Amino acid sequence: MSLQTLEIRRSSASVLGSRTGIRTAPTVSKYIDTSTCIGCKACEAACIEWNDLRHIATEQTGSYQTLPTLHAEYWNLIRFNERDFEGGLIWLMRKDQCMHCDDPGCLAACPAPGAIVQYANGIVDVNPDQCIGCGYCETGCPFDVPRFSQATGKMAKCTLCVDRVSVGLEPACIKACPTGCLQFGTKDDMVALGNARVSQLKADGFQNAVLYNPSGVNGTGVVTVLAHGDHPEWYGLPTDPHVPLSVRLWKKVLRPLGVVAVFGAVIGAFAHFTKYGPKEVRGADRPKDNLPEA
Amino acid sequence: MSTANPRHMDAAVIAARSREDVVVGDEIVRHRLYSRLVHWTVALTFAVALLTGMPIWTPVFGWMAHLFGGLTVCRVIHPWAGLAFFLAALVQFFEWMSDMRVEPWERDWLGPRTLRYMRYEEDDPRTGKYNGGQKLYFWAVSLGAVGLLLSGLLMWFPRAFPRWLIEVAFLVHDFTFICFAVSLVFHIYLGTAAEPGTFRSMIRGTVTRPWARLHHPAWYRKLTGEESRRTGV
Repeated sequence: MSLQTLEIRRSSASVLGSRTGIRTAPTVSKYIDTSTCIGCKACEAACIEWNDLRHIATEQTGSYQTLPTLHAEYWNLIRFNERDFEGGLIWLMRKDQCMHCDDPGCLAACPAPGAIVQYANGIVDVNPDQCIGCGYCETGCPFDVPRFSQATGKMAKCTLCVDRVSVGLEPACIKACPTGCLQFGTKDDMVALGNARVSQLKADGFQNAVLYNPSGVNGTGVVTVLAHGDHPEWYGLPTDPHVPLSVRLWKKVLRPLGVVAVFGAVIGAFAHFTKYGPKEVRGADRPKDNLPEA
Repeated sequence: MSTANPRHMDAAVIAARSREDVVVGDEIVRHRLYSRLVHWTVALTFAVALLTGMPIWTPVFGWMAHLFGGLTVCRVIHPWAGLAFFLAALVQFFEWMSDMRVEPWERDWLGPRTLRYMRYEEDDPRTGKYNGGQKLYFWAVSLGAVGLLLSGLLMWFPRAFPRWLIEVAFLVHDFTFICFAVSLVFHIYLGTAAEPGTFRSMIRGTVTRPWARLHHPAWYRKLTGEESRRTGV
């Protein structure tokens, strides 16, 4: 962490601003083209291997999918979605992982200072040194990504291979992809690549193709080409993801009001005591030895 | 045990071990030992839950975490302390419930009468063992304890419940806590500095006759048969 703290753009539970780093860096992004993904799961294997994740039992879900959802020991999961479409079957595979939101809900919900950080290059990461394993980030995340690890008592999720990216390598999943449907680079380059692919798909008859880069979280560090962009939910993606209103209300309204109320009560009690003093027994009821001399 | 009366023990303290609402010499037993133990169990468990919860609530109170050895320790202790608090509050509820019926004429404690009380202008001869404010505080604490428990359980096991319910739980836990914290400040203030003679009722168990006459005139009349004098405030 010590080197990486030079490059922090945003940090959880920060009182005064959050930018602790002094460096800036271009925002990076993964590029996922669902239309050329063949569901080989090389990225899943690469993720486990590079990140030394513990092997867990797979679960039969009725499809090729390895597990029903992401897991603390499984940060990269190809979702195999099947749909009836215009009289035929479409098979929609999407690589599910942390989306590295520009406005991360996990970071907004996190109560532990510095436990979730966003680096200067946009990567959103859990810092196990500071994480207390409360699971609030699960509630903040619009993509249902962070998982509590029973093994470590901390939260776990895709790090976008920050340890590789920091030394100029591409993430493990990108490295392993045999079809080129996964790419890695600056956000600008990946958006340009995605837009080009979307135009191509539109020319090929997929009128609703889009590059999924939702504005509700101010864009994500994973941009996804969807041939059926009018139905992100077919791919298991939320239509309009945003940091939950409840998290904003809780952190931005209720909490500041509460802090004021708590301090206000203490100050109020002192002020009251100063103005009114103690409510003493008076007059004839007052113990004789306490009577003021007349 | 009852025959042994060491010289340093007085009759009021001994009576206060097992009985309450009795007059012993110049004193009246207000809270028997069991009541006091229950109250302090509630207080202790709540204090632990409070001090471990507040640093998780906001880094403004992060310094409290150091009392327990850090935020991670707080995260481990807090739910268990909260559970212990709820159980203690449950026992306390049944201990005090029967004294806490809010009479129709006490309902305005929700508003103007509490303000009059804080200006020391409240002087109702009908006030019994507990005044309307104390009764409302009792019901608010009992209801709040349920709110904190239910919302806390949801936050403890977020994956076991629907997402929207967890989101509501965060808001409920936060709001209930804020109400608790504010009223606790006044509870402690009124029970110590603001009203001399009150704190001993929770320590020694007894109050003086003049104290009872001033704060709880109807309770005083009932126990002593005396007319309470109007105390000039």
